[in-house]
Amino acid sequence: MLGKPNAAKGGKKRVISPTVWPLYIWTALFVALPLVYVVTISFLKKDEIWGVTNQFTLGNYLSLFDPVYLKVFGQSFLVAVSTTALTLLIGYPFAYFTAKFSPAVRSFIILLLMAPFWVNSLLRLNGWIILLKANGPVNELLMRLGLAQEPLKLLYNGGAMMLGMVYALLPFMITSIYNSVEKLDWSVIEAARDLGASPAKAFFTVTVPLTVPGIVAGCVLVFVPSMGLFFISDLLGGAKSLLLGNLIKNELMQARNWPMGATLSIAMLLFTFAFIGIYKRVTGEKTLGGIK
Amino acid sequence: MMKKNSWRSRLFVALVLLFNYLPIFIVVLYSFNASKYGNWAGLSLQWYEKLMGNAQILRSLKNSLLLAFSSCALSILIGTAGAVGMARSHFRTQNLLENVSMIPMMLPEIILGMAYLSFFSILKVSFGMVTLIIAHVTFCIPYIFINVQSRLAGLDPAYVEAARDLGASPTRAFWDVTLPLISPAITSGALLAFAMSMDDVVISFFVTGTTSNTLPLQVYSMLKMGVTPEVNALCTLMLLAVFAALGLYALLRRVLRKRA
Amino acid sequence: MKKTVVRLLALVMVLSLALLGAGCSSSNKKGELVIFSWADYIDPDLLKEFTASTGIEINYNYFNSEEEMLSKLEAVDGGEYDIVIASDYIINIARKENLLKEIDKSKVPNYENLNEDYLNQYYDPEGKYTIPYVAGTPLIVYDPSRVTCQITGYGSLWDESLKDQIVVMDHMRNVIGFTLKSMGYSLNEQDPEVIAKAGEKLLALKPNIRALDGDTPHEKLISGECTVGYIFTSQVSAVLSERPDFKVVYPEEGMGFGIDSLFMPANAPHEDAALQFMNFLCDPEISARASVFTQYINCNKAATQYLPEEFLNNQAVNIPADILGDIEFMQDISSEATEQMNEIWNTFKQS
Repeated sequence: MLGKPNAAKGGKKRVISPTVWPLYIWTALFVALPLVYVVTISFLKKDEIWGVTNQFTLGNYLSLFDPVYLKVFGQSFLVAVSTTALTLLIGYPFAYFTAKFSPAVRSFIILLLMAPFWVNSLLRLNGWIILLKANGPVNELLMRLGLAQEPLKLLYNGGAMMLGMVYALLPFMITSIYNSVEKLDWSVIEAARDLGASPAKAFFTVTVPLTVPGIVAGCVLVFVPSMGLFFISDLLGGAKSLLLGNLIKNELMQARNWPMGATLSIAMLLFTFAFIGIYKRVTGEKTLGGIK
Repeated sequence: MMKKNSWRSRLFVALVLLFNYLPIFIVVLYSFNASKYGNWAGLSLQWYEKLMGNAQILRSLKNSLLLAFSSCALSILIGTAGAVGMARSHFRTQNLLENVSMIPMMLPEIILGMAYLSFFSILKVSFGMVTLIIAHVTFCIPYIFINVQSRLAGLDPAYVEAARDLGASPTRAFWDVTLPLISPAITSGALLAFAMSMDDVVISFFVTGTTSNTLPLQVYSMLKMGVTPEVNALCTLMLLAVFAALGLYALLRRVLRKRA
Repeated sequence: MKKTVVRLLALVMVLSLALLGAGCSSSNKKGELVIFSWADYIDPDLLKEFTASTGIEINYNYFNSEEEMLSKLEAVDGGEYDIVIASDYIINIARKENLLKEIDKSKVPNYENLNEDYLNQYYDPEGKYTIPYVAGTPLIVYDPSRVTCQITGYGSLWDESLKDQIVVMDHMRNVIGFTLKSMGYSLNEQDPEVIAKAGEKLLALKPNIRALDGDTPHEKLISGECTVGYIFTSQVSAVLSERPDFKVVYPEEGMGFGIDSLFMPANAPHEDAALQFMNFLCDPEISARASVFTQYINCNKAATQYLPEEFLNNQAVNIPADILGDIEFMQDISSEATEQMNEIWNTFKQS
């Protein structure tokens, strides 16, 4: 049921399982059609004050090479990659250790991790603002301890923004990796150890390769949204740096240039696909994480 | 048997959980703050009182729960069926379908929201709960799909083959073998999807109607206008509700397990 | 396990159906009024009083940016909403897009209470579509105990001593606008060379900017995160209420100005209720309370006697007439100028 191994290996026989149809139809109706709309807009000229005209243009795509836009792309990419790396660095050990607890404890930990995420994310970010602001508890503590003479500027800089990004996206990484680690066959690792591999070696040659599907899924789930998030840089970064998400929002809402907003979105989409494609090729994963 | 966690790894897990809860503790604490801005000014329940007097919040909470539950349920059905079906299908547009179904995750929410706005407006669908559910299901599906697919990919097909060899029908093999194996992935995908739905502001704004406003829309607008203590109180209550629900769930599971 | 999953799914389905049922059972009372505006922009007590006296239920919908509001209004073809409160420039666009409905003044007898200074402005030259709600002008505020330089106008914001101290609104037109003003030009300047010069000058401001925030800059000033702010009227009041020691500056180069008005979308479903509500808000006493609640300038000449002492003493909402004479609306500019400003704005934020 999981797969028809013979047909799969044998190659090209056309089989469509009937359970794919709902997904197929839904995607065609509610993803593909709106996407066509976005693509269409991206080839049109903006109207003088509001809306779009019917005139075709390639100008929007040419403006992508404007140095400002290129810089924004570069910066967003850097932020997204660093966020992914940091969440992986924290998320992997967390998921790994969690999976080693007894079943009752580990499902409790995962629920504990997820519970706050059912509460509005802006509220949680607001908690960080209260915590870190000039007259907030952290600064008060530092000053009481004599570690600071005057309130430190903890907010509205790149560091605060990264903190927010990691905080907001960490659970995506953890749950994906946890899914992979949790179903690990620990006897394989035991076997490697029995054959004389050091714990580190066993970890990197056996455990990590076995959990690559989870890592890839986690990285995709973190990388993709971190390219487009705008409210974290607005709230914790003081709106001083321009990421792709902010740029697109500005184009759509402040400059009222919908075609350019659409073009930037399409560019971001292609860029994300390309990056994930390369990433997949490098890690050797072909069919995982939903994107081939 | 695997090795137990050392105290260091236990500490690590505890610290990450602390990191996760730190801002929430603060929100809970400040929901009892007497002052609207700035420093701690003593205990007060005034924000809870204000909140309770706000009928609109309660209405939008109801809308949000309805929306999150129904879009979660629908996306579980479509996403799981799709992922399972994909694993045993081979057709030319398979890659394309998979990629396109992931797009809602990759497009900035605001452009997706505007696209839906025009889309529904062209189709003359009136904005309301139906359009909200459609939009939410669309962006929830990828979370379920990715999770289930990566779980399926790591599973040993021998389990299913064994069941089939023992004479189980494909349907039977699915219910008895595949589903139990992928249910953790469905659960974690559903948890994410639920969280995404309860959190969405940007897309919801564009597709909501006048009577279907959701809680995140209210909360976002209130936060933007700086009505924070009231919102902190709301956050505290929601957290309480989440923990109550989790407790109930754990209890239910224990009872079910005893009966089984 | 399988059974648990099935049970859970069933539970979810039943719950959603139950909620759906509950959601549909809303009763229709004596009438309904759908309002579309920013959150917390109308005193909830006033809304309750309106419902109590007319029996009309109010459904208050929020928007966060006016551009979002307008695209939504366009998508529903000017229907669904009865009253929108928004600011002048967006109303001007809505008017050009034929999304406004004419007000039957005979049903708004309180219209005569309004102050003529706020009527028939550029966005509604014949006064057919709008009723001014409140007005405002962004001002500079600063903490005199921590600012060492003299602040007299926009130009002072470039002072080197203000490094990493300032909060200004995260809004392209406003920020480029005050840069133009600081150079002696109009907010609505369209000459590409002048705009380019303003762009260069703006870049030099970046080191002084601690944060860009148009929504809650007052919180940043109250908490001491920033010492100087260029912020909207109500936010100035919020700062002054918590930190009376802050100083308010009426910029010497002249001020920007805005009026937020009520209008009915072209296909508003409950026109009568909307007109009743407009009349209600034009009542002198109600209007005074609305201004006190929003902390914006009152536009009702009959309301002055109802305004409390502390409101009249507030520098943010009671600006001397001679200063208020030197104001300028922010109006729409050409597509080319907008594009140029957008590029400047992106460069400024990116730098």
